[in-house]
Amino acid sequence: MTETASPPQAPAPAPPRRPRLPVIPGPLETAALAWRRLRRMSTALLLLFALAAASVVATVIPQEPVTARSVADWRSGAAGPGAPVASVLDALSLFDVFGSPWFLALTVLLFVSLTGCLVPRYRAFARTLRRPPPAGRNLSRLSHHEVLATTLPPGAALDAADAVLARRRFRRRRVGAAGEQLAAERGAWREGGSLVFHTAFYLLLLGAVIGKAFGFTGQITLAEGSAFAETRIAYDAAEPGRYWGLDDHRGFVVALDDFDVSYFPNFTPRDFVSTVTVSEQGQQVRTERIRVNHPLRHDGMTLYQLGFGMAPHLIVRAGEQVLLDERVLLTPQEGTPNLWAGTAKVKFDDLRRQLALDLALVPNAALGADGQPVITADPRPTNPVLVGSLYFGELGLQRPVPAAEFDRGDGPVDTAMLRPGATAELAKGSLTVEFADLGYWSGLQVSHAPGRELLLLGGGLVLVGLLPSLYSYRRRVWVQARAADGGAAVTVAGVALHRKAAFDDEFAAIVAALRAALPSATPPTQER
Amino acid sequence: MADESLAQTSNTLFNVAFLTYIAAMVAYFFRLAFTRVSADGAIAGTAAGRRIGLAGTALAVAGLAVHLGSVVARGLAAGRVPWANMYEYSSMLALGAVAVGLVVVQRRFGYGHLVGFILAAAVLSMTTGLLLFTEAGPVVPALNSYWIKIHTSAAMGSSSIFIVGFAATALYLVKDTAERRVAARSGAAFAGSTVGAAQTTPVDARPEGYEADAALDDRDVVASPLAQREALSPVLFPLVPGVVVALFTLLVWRAPGGAIVAGSVAALLGTAAWYAVPFLPPAARLDNLAYRTIAFAFPLWTFAIMAGAIWAEEAWGRYWGWDPKETGSFFTWVLYAAYLHARSTHGWRGRRAAWVAVVAFGALMVTYYAVNLWIVGLHSYAGDI
Ligand code: HEM
Repeated sequence: MTETASPPQAPAPAPPRRPRLPVIPGPLETAALAWRRLRRMSTALLLLFALAAASVVATVIPQEPVTARSVADWRSGAAGPGAPVASVLDALSLFDVFGSPWFLALTVLLFVSLTGCLVPRYRAFARTLRRPPPAGRNLSRLSHHEVLATTLPPGAALDAADAVLARRRFRRRRVGAAGEQLAAERGAWREGGSLVFHTAFYLLLLGAVIGKAFGFTGQITLAEGSAFAETRIAYDAAEPGRYWGLDDHRGFVVALDDFDVSYFPNFTPRDFVSTVTVSEQGQQVRTERIRVNHPLRHDGMTLYQLGFGMAPHLIVRAGEQVLLDERVLLTPQEGTPNLWAGTAKVKFDDLRRQLALDLALVPNAALGADGQPVITADPRPTNPVLVGSLYFGELGLQRPVPAAEFDRGDGPVDTAMLRPGATAELAKGSLTVEFADLGYWSGLQVSHAPGRELLLLGGGLVLVGLLPSLYSYRRRVWVQARAADGGAAVTVAGVALHRKAAFDDEFAAIVAALRAALPSATPPTQER
Repeated sequence: MADESLAQTSNTLFNVAFLTYIAAMVAYFFRLAFTRVSADGAIAGTAAGRRIGLAGTALAVAGLAVHLGSVVARGLAAGRVPWANMYEYSSMLALGAVAVGLVVVQRRFGYGHLVGFILAAAVLSMTTGLLLFTEAGPVVPALNSYWIKIHTSAAMGSSSIFIVGFAATALYLVKDTAERRVAARSGAAFAGSTVGAAQTTPVDARPEGYEADAALDDRDVVASPLAQREALSPVLFPLVPGVVVALFTLLVWRAPGGAIVAGSVAALLGTAAWYAVPFLPPAARLDNLAYRTIAFAFPLWTFAIMAGAIWAEEAWGRYWGWDPKETGSFFTWVLYAAYLHARSTHGWRGRRAAWVAVVAFGALMVTYYAVNLWIVGLHSYAGDI
C-alpha cells in the first residue's frame, strides 16, 4: 500500500565536472527520505526478518540472563566454540541479544516504521468510514447479478432488501433521485481490525518498558522457622528496574511457618507448599499458602514458589561455647538424585583457625554392606542420614565467594555420620555437632510487575484486531427496484473486493434471503 | 495415578492408529496414481481410483477414531491432559493434522488427493513420538495449571494446522515450478504461472493477495499436464527432502539409524510429490489453501504464546524471560507474520512469500524439536522446575 506512495526518485542532476561525488542531501531531505523508506512495507518485512534473525541467534547462543552458567562456560572455552570466538560474540553483545543496543535500535526502527505505516492508514480508514457506500451503475453488467420479481411496490421491496442487508451487517444508503437504489457495503473492519492489531503493539511495548523500568524481581531462600523483611539486603539475588528505588521496597516481613512437599508414587513431586505469615509493623496481617501456580499477592508484590531443599538444623559447640546454631541450606546435587549437599561456615573470625563443615544428606538412606548410607529412589525424608566432614585451618572462608568454595587443602580432619537428634564428637572431642532436626527451605521469588494490565490489554487487542483483519472481506451489494406489472423487478448485484472465490456462495445466500423476504411473484398470475 | 492397563491400551491403540494411517496413506497415494488429468486440466478419478480413495478415507477415519481412543486412554491413565511430554505432543500433532486434513482439505476444499501428504506428515510426527516415548505419568507441579492446558492445546492446534499449511506451501512451490517450466517451454502463450497473482495487476488499488483467486478464472492451461512432471527433475525431488530431513534428524537426535529412516521416508515423499505434480490443483489454488490455513493458525498461535506468557507469570513470576523455548516461539511467530506481510508486498507475493512460509515452518520444527532436544540438552534450563 505505502508502496505506491513514493514514486521513484528522480536522480538529482550531478555537477558535470565531478560525476563521482554524490550530491549530499541536507538533513531535512535525508530525514524525509529515511521516513519514506521506513514507511514501506518491504522495509517492515526486512525489519521483521531482522527480528527473526536476532531470535535465532538468541536460541542458538546461550543468553546470559537465562543461562548464565553456559555463558560462563563459553567464555572460558570450557564449552562452545572456544574463548576467542566467545570474545567476539561478547563484543557483539550476542550473549545478551535482547538487552543489546542493536536490538534496541531494531525495536525503535520497527516502531518508527509501524508509526509511518499506521498514520496514513488511519487517515484512509477514517475516510472510508465517512464515505457512504458508492452508487452502482450498470448493475446487469456485473458478474454477480440476479433479477427477482415481486408483488411488492418498489419502495417496499427496497425496504425489505434493506432489512435483509442490515441483518448481514452491511452499511446501506439510498441513492438516486427517488431513492430507487440501495447501495450497501461491508467489511471495512478488515482494515479497522488491522489498525487495532498493529496499534496494540504500542501498548505491548509500553507495558514491557514500564515493567522493565519500574519493576523488581528478587529471589530469596528461607528456611523453615525463619523470616525475611522485604528490603533489598534480604535478597540472595535481585534484579531491580532502573527506576525501582530502595524506598520502593515494602518492608513487610514474611515468616516461613511451614513447608510441605508431597510426591506421586513414582516420586515426581506432586505439590509443594510454603505456609507463610506476613507481618507489617510487627502486626501479623495474614497467613497464606504459596504453591506453584498459586502465588501470593501482597501490597503490590507477588510471591512465587520456586524451588525447595533440605535444611538440617545443626548446633556446633566447642565445649560450652555455641559456634553455630542454625538451619543449613542444602542444595540438590546435579546428576545424583536424592543427594543434598551444602557447607556450614562454622567459625571464620580467626583467619588461621577457621572451621567449616561439608555436609551431605541422604533423605531416605538404606545402609550398605560397608555401613555407609546408600541413596534410595525415595526422596521423602523418612530415614535421613547426614554426613559432616570437618575442615580446619586457613580455609579462606572470609573471601566473598559462595560458601561451597573454600580451600579444602589436605582434606577433612574428621567425619561424622548423624541421624536426627543425634550428637557426634569431632576432632577428638574438641567439638560436638548436633543434628537437631531436619526441615526444609523454600525458594521464593518476589516481584513487582507494573504494566501487566497494559500487556494484557495489548494482547487482547492484538487478538481482537487480528480476527477481522484476517477473516473479514469487503463486499459491495446494490439492490435496485423498478415498477413492473403490479409489483417490482428487483435487480441485485454485487462485487467482492477481496477473496473473490468465496463470493459466489455469499452472493447466492444473499439472493436466497432476498427471495425469501420478497413476496414471490412467480408465476405472477397466481397472486391475482 | 498411572493405570497400567489403561496405559497399555493407549499404547496398543497408538500402534494400531499408526499402522492404519500408513495403510490409508498408501491408499491415498494409489488414488493419486489412478487419477487422470484431461488436457483441459480437469481431474477425474478412474473407477479403481475412486474405490481405493474411498478405502483410504475409510481407513483414515478409522485411524483417527482409534487414535482418539489412544489419546483418551492415555489421559485417563495419567490422570491429566494427554499432552504433557513430547511423545504425547507428537501424537496430538498427528491427530490434529489428520483431522484438519480430512475435514478442511478433503471436505471443505475438496482436495482429497492431497490427504496422502498430510497423512505422511502425521506418520512422521508419530514416528518421532515413538522415538521420544515416555511412560504415562504425572507432571511436575509447574505444569499443573489451567493456563498451561490452554496454552498447549492452542499451540498444538495451531501447529497441526501449520503442518497442513506447510504441505500446501510445499506442493504449491512444486506445482508452480512445473507450471512455469511448461509455460516457458510452450512459448509465451501463457504468461507466468497460474499464480500470476504474483505478476498480474491487482484489481483492487490495495491488493491483499487475494487476486490469486481472480486470476484463476482466466487461467489457460496450455501444455499437457503430464509435461509438468517431465519438466521437473526426478533426482532432486527425493534428494532435497531426504537430505534435509536426514540432517535435521542427525543434528537433533544424533541417531544415524533414525536419520536414514526419516531421510528415506522424506525422499519417498519427495518422489510422490514429483509423481503427483500433474494431479495437483493449480498452483494458485494451492497458494490459496496455504494462505487460508496459515491465516487460520496464526491467531491461534498468537493466542498460544500469550497464554504461555500468562502461565509463566503464574508459575515462575515472569511473563517473558527469553528462554530458548520462548525465543523460538517468538521467532516462529515473527516469521509467520512476515509471511502474511509478504503476501501483501509487491515483489514478495507468490513464490517468495511461499519461501517465507517454508522457513517459518522450519522455525516451528526447530522450536519444537531442536530447542527441546538439542539446545536445552546443551544448556542448563534455568528456572525450570
Ligand atoms: C510489530 C511487528 C508487526 C507485526 C507482528 C505485524 C503483523 C501483521 C499481521 C499478522 C498482519 C495481517 C496480515 C493480513 O491481514 O493478511 C499485518 C498486516 C499488515 N501490516 Fe503488519 N505487522 C507488524 C508491523 C508492521 C509494520 C511496521 C508495517 C508498516 C510498514 C505493517 C504494515 C502492515 C500492513 C499494511 C498490513 C495490511 C496487509 C493486508 O491487509 O493484507 N506492519 N501485519
